[in-house]
Amino acid sequence: MADNNNNTNQSRRRFLRNLGIFSAAGALASCGASTGEKKAPAKHTDGPMTMRTNHNTGDTVSLLGYGCMRFPTIGMRDGTDDDKLDQEAINKSVDYALEHGVNYFDTSPAYCKGQSEAAIGEALSRHPRDKYFIATKLSNFSPSTWPYEESVKMFENSLKYLRTDYVDYLLLHAVGGGGLDNLHARYLDNGVLKYLQDQKEKGVIRNLGFSYHGDIEVFDYLLKQMDEGNMHWDFVQIQLNYVDWKATPDEEPHSTNANYLYHELEKRNIPVVIMEPLLGGRLASLPDPITRQLKERRPDDSVASWAFRFAGSEPGILTVLSGMTYMDHLIDNLGTYSSLEPLTDEEKTFLHRIAVEYQENKVVPCTACNYCMPCPYGVDIPGTFTHYNKCINENNLPRDYSDPRYAEARKAYLYGYDRSVPRLRQAGMCVACGSCVSHCPQSINIPVELHKIDKYTEDLRGKA
Amino acid sequence: MKSHSLKFLRIVVAVVALLALTWLFVDFTGAAAVRLAWLAKIQLVPVLLAVNVVAILILALLTLVFGRLYCSVICPLGITQDIVIWLRRVFSSKKNRRLGLYRFTPEHKAWRYGFLGLFIVVAVLGLISLVPMSFAGILDPYSIYGRIAGQGIVPLWRAGASAVAEAQAANGNYLFAGEVPAALANFNIAVSVVAAVTFIIVAVFAIRTGRGYCNTVCPVGTILGFLSRFSLLRPLIDESKCNRCGSCGRKCKAKCIDTKNHVIDLSRCVVCLDCINNCTQGAISYGFRRKTVKKAVAAESTTSADKTEKTDSSRRAFLVGTAIVAGAAAASAADKVTDGGLAPIKAKKRHKDAAPAVPAGAISLRHFRSHCTACQLCISECPNNVLRPGTSLDGFMQPVMVFTDGFCRTDCNRCSQVCPTGALRPISVEEKTAWKIGTAVVDPEICISAAYGQACGNCVRHCPAEAISMVKGENGHMRPVVNESICIGCGNCEYHCPAGRAGQLSSNKAAIYVNGIEVHQKI
Repeated sequence: MADNNNNTNQSRRRFLRNLGIFSAAGALASCGASTGEKKAPAKHTDGPMTMRTNHNTGDTVSLLGYGCMRFPTIGMRDGTDDDKLDQEAINKSVDYALEHGVNYFDTSPAYCKGQSEAAIGEALSRHPRDKYFIATKLSNFSPSTWPYEESVKMFENSLKYLRTDYVDYLLLHAVGGGGLDNLHARYLDNGVLKYLQDQKEKGVIRNLGFSYHGDIEVFDYLLKQMDEGNMHWDFVQIQLNYVDWKATPDEEPHSTNANYLYHELEKRNIPVVIMEPLLGGRLASLPDPITRQLKERRPDDSVASWAFRFAGSEPGILTVLSGMTYMDHLIDNLGTYSSLEPLTDEEKTFLHRIAVEYQENKVVPCTACNYCMPCPYGVDIPGTFTHYNKCINENNLPRDYSDPRYAEARKAYLYGYDRSVPRLRQAGMCVACGSCVSHCPQSINIPVELHKIDKYTEDLRGKA
Repeated sequence: MKSHSLKFLRIVVAVVALLALTWLFVDFTGAAAVRLAWLAKIQLVPVLLAVNVVAILILALLTLVFGRLYCSVICPLGITQDIVIWLRRVFSSKKNRRLGLYRFTPEHKAWRYGFLGLFIVVAVLGLISLVPMSFAGILDPYSIYGRIAGQGIVPLWRAGASAVAEAQAANGNYLFAGEVPAALANFNIAVSVVAAVTFIIVAVFAIRTGRGYCNTVCPVGTILGFLSRFSLLRPLIDESKCNRCGSCGRKCKAKCIDTKNHVIDLSRCVVCLDCINNCTQGAISYGFRRKTVKKAVAAESTTSADKTEKTDSSRRAFLVGTAIVAGAAAASAADKVTDGGLAPIKAKKRHKDAAPAVPAGAISLRHFRSHCTACQLCISECPNNVLRPGTSLDGFMQPVMVFTDGFCRTDCNRCSQVCPTGALRPISVEEKTAWKIGTAVVDPEICISAAYGQACGNCVRHCPAEAISMVKGENGHMRPVVNESICIGCGNCEYHCPAGRAGQLSSNKAAIYVNGIEVHQKI
């Protein structure tokens, strides 16, 4: 029996490791990574998908939302670096998701090098339009898309790619980055918000909201405008997970305190859509000591399931987005939300403790969302951070010779790095131009982190 | 000792020596460099160039005692020929095998000493720096083997190793994944042509004439022949037992047994001991020289009167100055509309007019070029992808440093540890950190900071000597400047420079590059 456990553990770990390798090769694997073993789909027949109601439109939305930012690429399937999306796999996952109650699909014109909308559009067009809700965004990050005509064109293209004449949920994309000035430049001064409000009047947009990352001033400003009756937000999308959830709403800094964000929205009765419930998959693969604590409590549940239960437990949450790259992720998540078993207060306290412990690891808070990419100098930024974080989690970041696992860890770190990121795309090639910084929703100072990693790597290379 | 066991011993030692030396070439982990470099350092031509007195004496003594055993168990090219000869015998008809494939021929004196003379002349021209020593290295058997290994075996080995590494890493096992250098990283068409042609010539010689190459062309064979004819131990023919069947002569791959006169030409005998085993009468033995033995073939050591045309190496024959259009495209960050993907990067080229740089330990470019026989060992060993065979005539096949795909790590001194000819003298890692081999120079016209005002400073950040800093240029942009007195020329800056790498930039060269210096300096 003990042997048996050992075996599954090992095969699971091997699987996780392999997954890590694949993820570094292209788009990143994210959620529910621990369902490598062929699990009978029996797990999610425990109950029906948990549904939530949007009081604005009466939409009955599945608690599990399908995030379309981390779609699989052809390259992930055949091991090449072909980053064309794997439409066949996407269709299959989407069919399966719909069949099991998932009805909310969240995309953007920027995702997957701009291929996401067309891909999900194709997958969904094979099903009746009233069976699902489409969420997309006005992703006018580039100054070249700030003029009114350009932004309008972007929205019209979205409709075209999505093969629909209306969008259920439309978001101002990642407001907060670049502060109020950026908000004004992208949506307010050029009349784009007005245009979107008009589209809502016409019924082309059914719900208008925004997704928020970054400067809290922008979040507070938009809610204040709502309080004063100048704007109306049908829903808001925020980053929420047990690491970003501080003990009280007032804890600083507000910008990343999901407790604060959530309660501000709850106060106003605004439905909340959750993104990054797993922090880009980081909460699906935790350091061993933490994993053991989770497994002790619920041995058969994946590590990721804890994060999903956390994200779904608050009643004001409309849906939790998960960028499910592989069918495994989908099956695991369906298991968690069919039906949701809300966290007990004791479990919440436990997860807060886990979060504290987790943050003692100096991982780079990268969610591999790829917003920073492509780096104009060819650096594979998420690939580098993913490898570095993986080595922290696997205790493969040797500090000095006194580490009893020095040689083994050094090999795993250096060779794994060269394998997952070619040398000419590693951290050392970062020239600190800083063009990535403003794109990072996690406010990571990317050049600084890259240079730290480069220094660490070069030191390690020198100490054979 | 029984002759059977002696021959067996000879074969075992030879095979082990060849495998070990080949391992020295193919092993990229550096483990062999530490343990096996001595195998290269006992090869005769390198020993002579390195003026390794101890090794010279040992090799002389070895030859004076045992004869040209060197050619059978130390020389990798000799052992390779033995393998070709063995294969030829295996694939020949039974009758031929029984009768033997060779017959005695007198030495081809003119050719033999002609080639030695040619070798000496070219080597002297090399030593006085009129031609690179690699020209003499064309005839050196060790360097010939080195080129065959470096251009032929090493790429194959690496291709195999990376396939294994891939398979292993897929299972999460990093035995040496990531460490395997690119198979063709050091491949050079000129060197590979030289290697292939010499290999074919040597193999044809081996198939048609046994050890004819060693006894007619190879300068090492001829030099050792001067000593081996006086060797203490030698094959001896007992005339009283000999039935004059002539079998020994027909089976001697050195074709040096004159069976009619019972004379063995010891200057050509490579002590393979085949004759002893083949003699049905037990008339041949390996033992101490006896007074009664008939005089060895008189071998007047004539110095070659051959006049060797010295080839005039026009130093800069190759250099073609291509006008480099820097292009005005500014290095602005691409306007990012969608997320993800990797920006293109391109293969960086080295500046054509950059002075050649050679590794620390070379003393000077002149010393290096006058001692390196182009055996390719350092190139095969370099873990940093820096050393490449040179293509210019004045350093033909000899390694030069290329900083486009790697930089010379200050914590690595492997090339200096393995070099057998003394072209690179051993240098410690500590010394190397303050050993100047070149100076970085800035090309402000293509520097993304100096020309376009882009934030960069990657050269500054990576310089291990802290020799680079940014100052305000005439146009108001920050530009790198190099403190030439502390720059050691490691190439870190050239490797990490985004110019020439980022696909969005028009330049194909780094904006900061290393100019080699003529004489290396301690700083």
